[in-house]
Amino acid sequence: MKNLFYKIYMLGFMALTVFFIYIIWEVTFAHIIEEYYGRERALEIGQIVEQKKHEATKTSFEKIILESDEKIKHYLGYKILEERRIKGHFHHIGFQIGPDKRSYCVDCHGDMPHDHIKELRAFLNMHAFFVGCETCHVKLEGAQKTRVYKWYDRTTGELVESPVKGSAPGAYKAKIIPFERVDGKLQRIDSEDRMAFSREYREKEKSLSQAQKSRAKKLIHKIVSKQPAICEDCHQKEASLLPLADLGYPKERIDSIMSTEVVGMIKNYTKFYMPRMLHPGEELPKVEEKKAVKSEI
Amino acid sequence: MKVSLPYLKSYLLLFLSIPFLIFSSPGSASAADIGNCLLCHKYPGMSRVDEEGKFRLFFINESIFNNGVHAKVKCEGCHTDITEIPHKPAKKVDCLVECHIVEPSSEKKFSHKSVETDLGQSVHGKIDSAGKSKKYANDFPECKDCHDEPLYRPLSFFKKVRPGISEASLGRCRVCHKKDEFIYRFYNHVTTRLHKSRNPINIAEVCARCHNDSQLVERHGLSTKAVFSYGETFHGKAARFLDERIPDCLDCHVNKGESAHQMLSHKNTQASTNDMNRGKICSNIDCHPNASPKLATYNVHAEFNLKQSPAQYFFTVFFIVLTGGTLLPLMGIILLDLIRRFFPNAVIKRRK
Repeated sequence: MKNLFYKIYMLGFMALTVFFIYIIWEVTFAHIIEEYYGRERALEIGQIVEQKKHEATKTSFEKIILESDEKIKHYLGYKILEERRIKGHFHHIGFQIGPDKRSYCVDCHGDMPHDHIKELRAFLNMHAFFVGCETCHVKLEGAQKTRVYKWYDRTTGELVESPVKGSAPGAYKAKIIPFERVDGKLQRIDSEDRMAFSREYREKEKSLSQAQKSRAKKLIHKIVSKQPAICEDCHQKEASLLPLADLGYPKERIDSIMSTEVVGMIKNYTKFYMPRMLHPGEELPKVEEKKAVKSEI
Repeated sequence: MKVSLPYLKSYLLLFLSIPFLIFSSPGSASAADIGNCLLCHKYPGMSRVDEEGKFRLFFINESIFNNGVHAKVKCEGCHTDITEIPHKPAKKVDCLVECHIVEPSSEKKFSHKSVETDLGQSVHGKIDSAGKSKKYANDFPECKDCHDEPLYRPLSFFKKVRPGISEASLGRCRVCHKKDEFIYRFYNHVTTRLHKSRNPINIAEVCARCHNDSQLVERHGLSTKAVFSYGETFHGKAARFLDERIPDCLDCHVNKGESAHQMLSHKNTQASTNDMNRGKICSNIDCHPNASPKLATYNVHAEFNLKQSPAQYFFTVFFIVLTGGTLLPLMGIILLDLIRRFFPNAVIKRRK
């Protein structure tokens, strides 16, 4: 027995010695070797990084804000503010939300997909941050229509409880997704089948002919309505598109969303800046044409 | 989980200050959002890609903004071209604009205009002393290259020196002053200015954006990647441990009583880093008052590489080799001895 303990003691001692040998090697010779190669590699990487910096068009919200490596910690004494850094951005961001891993729309259209209407694009992108694309771009009709909307986790894609209470407005880790009725059963619109089809298309896109691509795109966008929902579909007290109370919005938030301030501003925007909003795709008559029309009248 | 002491301290302070932050932060009370801009701009996803393909984020984090030095400045104070809501895409902010705040000592409208003059005459100015544009003028910094929204870093001096607002101090303020919003703002403003407005490591990080860029360093013929070599020093390592008292870049490179915008080239005889004045940096009353001027003659920004400082490089390599060369054989002998003890009768038979 004594001999056994002695052997175990010896083994422990040997393990400790080997561990020390490893540590000493790491901080001495390995350090010199690593530093030598590291310097050469750093120079190469530095050149590549600089080159990439100029080439890259990092315009994805996900890449810049949600997955950015450029983190910064502000040591304020009483607290540490950790946030992502955007070069040249003055105001602090101070929030951390994971990217939307579920949405297959984002794969092709990006997470800032709205850029056609100059004055509206930031508003639409703001909504796209917590409202799934299908919420506005799919209009379910007839038996498919359910008026059921739920929240899904941006990272896992799983359905979750409403994140609205206790979060800053719009800063949710979840997004709203509509449900459709298929064979009498409720089913989320971003079903596994649709996701799989879309992602398979992305994988095989390069090997497809133009005709095949066109057909695949048509199938993917089959559920997309020609005219998306507009601001006033939700920002109205009567028959709002989204059942905000069911989605966990407290009364004061609903009142704010439906308030005169918000609704009035939407009207102003529509009237002054976005007359096309209600008629997307239509060309507006030019100023001269307008004048001509008036004079004709 | 490994938690370093400074972090632990910060977390503890944060935990202790939670009730205070919740119940007594000036927060929304000090908001200058008269135009109700936050109706839209409070949403994090408020963003777009501009015509040049650049990402633009229009989100304002209200709680953070209200703890910054501009909390009392109305949005329109900086974004002067926005005169109505809804508004068209805003122009780039001119930091030198006169805002609605009145500077109390001169009773004139406040402006950062004087900073432009200081910066222009400093080592970071784009124009040289002959009035010509410097080479690689685009490399020289503009306001937002160094500054994001400055945040308050209040101090407490009551009994214990710790960061954060002291409730005891506020009690004294309330004897004479009645508006809490004023008291918080004044306290924050004054105590933030009584120490470094940024932690030394944050200062170093700002300088590193340019001074650690090896291509920029090479382009301008600078002798070192300054922040990297600062990180190699005792001061740099202490800064990593969030020591507030440790000198950062500005402590040595800016003359006492002047601002970072007045930093001069070491070739300028007025510069604190000029050979004639370097001795005074270390021996100043706040650092090493009894130090000999010779203390400042050592190579502060040594990178210990072969090209820049061969003596230090070989000295370092020698000691590394000496340490490894001594300890590794010693450990090897101990290991062999242990193996012998483990297998006392083992014999390696020689081939005949």
